[in-house]
Amino acid sequence: MKKTYNIGIVGVGGQGLLTLGEVIGLAAMFSGLDVSVSEIHGMSQRGGSVVVYVRIGEEPSPIIPSGGADTMLALELIEAARYVNLLRKGGYLIANDFIWPPPLSKYPPRESLLKALESVEAKIYLYDANRASVEIVGSPVSANIALLGFALGVNPELSELVKLESVEKALGEVFKGRTLDVNLKLLRSAYSEGVKVCKGERT
Amino acid sequence: MSEHPLLKRKGEVALLLGNEAIARATLESDICVATAYPGTPSTEILEALSEVAEYCGLYVEWSVNEKTAFEVAYGAAIAGLRSLTSMKHVGLNVASDILMSSAYSGVEAGMVVVSADDPSMHSSQNEQDNRWYGFLAHLPVIEPSNAREAYVLTKKAYELSEKYKIPVILRTTTRVSHTRMPVLLEQDVNLNRQCRGVFKQNFERWVLVPGNARRRKLELMKTWRSIVESEGVEPFIKVLNPGSKKAIVASGVAYSYVKEALELLGMFDKVTVVKVNMPVPLPVKPLKEVLELVDEVLVVEELDPIVEMQVKSIAQSAGFKGVIRGKDLVPASYELSLEPVYKAVAEFVGAPSKTPWESAGAPKMETPIPSRPPVLCAGCPHRNTFYVLKVAANKAGLRNPIYTGDIGCYTLGYQKPFEMQHTCFEMGGSVGVANGLAKSVDNPVIAIIGDSTFFHAGIPPAINAVYNNSNIVIVVLDNMTTAMTGHQPHPGVGVSATGKRTARVLPEKILEAIGYKVHVINTLRVKEAIEEAFRAFEEYKRGERVAIVSRMRCALEVLRDARRQKITLPIYSVLEEKCTGCLACINLTGCPAIILEHGSKKPRIMPEVCAGCGLCASICPYKAIVISNTPTQGYERLWWEV
Repeated sequence: MKKTYNIGIVGVGGQGLLTLGEVIGLAAMFSGLDVSVSEIHGMSQRGGSVVVYVRIGEEPSPIIPSGGADTMLALELIEAARYVNLLRKGGYLIANDFIWPPPLSKYPPRESLLKALESVEAKIYLYDANRASVEIVGSPVSANIALLGFALGVNPELSELVKLESVEKALGEVFKGRTLDVNLKLLRSAYSEGVKVCKGERT
Repeated sequence: MSEHPLLKRKGEVALLLGNEAIARATLESDICVATAYPGTPSTEILEALSEVAEYCGLYVEWSVNEKTAFEVAYGAAIAGLRSLTSMKHVGLNVASDILMSSAYSGVEAGMVVVSADDPSMHSSQNEQDNRWYGFLAHLPVIEPSNAREAYVLTKKAYELSEKYKIPVILRTTTRVSHTRMPVLLEQDVNLNRQCRGVFKQNFERWVLVPGNARRRKLELMKTWRSIVESEGVEPFIKVLNPGSKKAIVASGVAYSYVKEALELLGMFDKVTVVKVNMPVPLPVKPLKEVLELVDEVLVVEELDPIVEMQVKSIAQSAGFKGVIRGKDLVPASYELSLEPVYKAVAEFVGAPSKTPWESAGAPKMETPIPSRPPVLCAGCPHRNTFYVLKVAANKAGLRNPIYTGDIGCYTLGYQKPFEMQHTCFEMGGSVGVANGLAKSVDNPVIAIIGDSTFFHAGIPPAINAVYNNSNIVIVVLDNMTTAMTGHQPHPGVGVSATGKRTARVLPEKILEAIGYKVHVINTLRVKEAIEEAFRAFEEYKRGERVAIVSRMRCALEVLRDARRQKITLPIYSVLEEKCTGCLACINLTGCPAIILEHGSKKPRIMPEVCAGCGLCASICPYKAIVISNTPTQGYERLWWEV
């Protein structure tokens, strides 16, 4: 039995987590791999804490166990902190440098969140995916795709399994027209930024 | 249309949600009628079908509730057309009356009833195990272990339904319904289906008066026994690696965890595994054969010990002397996952129960991570309504009103700052329970119910309140869609499941016909709405029968339409110089677009989140919140017109 490669996607409902899961699932499928993408739906999840499990392997079961995620894509830092224990020791945390506090809540400041994240045993990469999306798409709506592009750049485990070309093809299934064009541009640009960081120009 | 993922050709592989896989399978099964009331995690089945229905020549509808949905599909099935009805687990409670009778009278063409259960209650008020309904109705229950099997088993379910001429229950759970997997398509979708049926009069069969029902009951029991005896075959049950001394029986999604746990333990070919896809009724013969060879059995299933009880019963009649374990090792509450199943399986096979995963660890936080429950979206009309009702009730001097609540996004009004959903039980319960509270306490009782929920189950208790003189106010929150499940149309919208214009049924007309004086309020205009609601509450205090219909569209639909029609909505921002930092905007609305950043005493509105409803601006005592862009003239109509 080949080892299953597990990707946890976390963030706030409405940030495009389900789309991101579908894109990675399609990309895995286009790479000839079996995959399972487990989501939680319902509009009431908007604004709530959301986790999507992507498992690439042979007929995998749907849920990643705690400590079982090889990579975590976090679209928001409070959610990164909430779910980081899903990550295996030495796994990759690629997090959007963005905080969206829950309404009426007391929340830790960015510095203490980052300090706390650094206390876990993981390879941590921060990326301002909202900014990247604003620059190319005009709004933060595609931060999910930016984060994926960056993750493929910094994480060779991921990009060996799910090729950039497969992700591009997957975007073509999910988006059309101008939306597709800008998302492809964003994906490639974020990927290049990731590759740069990976080559030692660490942010 | 032929590019639609649901219409891919035979031999292609599609990444399908379990629900989409079921939809595709029903298309391949040549169904003619599909019906549903939306409910998580079942919704995408009918949603997917509605997108291709006209192209494929089948009829789909969003029915007014699950009982009606079932009846419509059953009407087709007794006229000889294959049909589908799908619903969430609690929806089957609503449809259970006809479910029971449909088993007695049976079908002329295949009918599949999808019950999408929600263990862990991701989006539900309970986690009932609907496999019980199989016993209650004497109907077989099919349970796939993943999306791919959902595809194959749906097609088998139609064959089974026609073989025995009874409806078949296809029970899924959230992690089957909402998990995508690549599915290899076995057949093309027939675009020339023949969908005219024939109803053959048969009083003995279709008219369940006691004399007929008695005869039908005996027929049904004969069918039931026949299924128990004859269907112990693949794909309903499969025995892997027979001959071991230990057997694990796993039903539905539990099989996927058992399989992976055994593989991780290196034991997959060392233990007998009974993979169950028909948990009710559990076929006897294959189980008996397994029990003859093993000493120990572990049953793994999500929620209730339904297979376990049957295995124990079979074991007793077979004189089995070994040990049968199940819910003593496997949790009976919440959904299963790999970890608890791994531990149970490891203990059962005598392996160390320490799991093979080593976590990166939990971060050491000084300030605890705040919880993040779902919240009303920025611009949500329910926020405006809760605010308006609260202010108007205060103004009218209603003391300690009880706000009974219902099922929908607005249930989130139980949270701070509103705390205006004091109950939430089931569809329509706001109005029904309000009737009882009004008879029992002296507080004002205000029932708050969504538009779709009102049509679903709110009308009979509204009639009851008039007939039995219960002193309540009914507030219908009309956001002109079924929002929580992803924006399905309903009778109040005037649009069908396939997007066609149709008759519009207005809640205020119904309420007026029943005998209420109805105040329709528009909560985008906050101050006017408060005045109107105040008048309604004054009338209520005088003992009049009043209802309020609060009409303002779901913000997510408004945002979507604004994007499509290139209309600029207002974006609000806080004027630093005017803002005193009183935080009324945050504390009175709980809007997720308004945040207080660390080190700042004044709030900031996130422009990318603000939907431009203006509630905060109308609340701000210092007029410090203003529109910061140039909205399109007449943008307001988006909030009222579909």
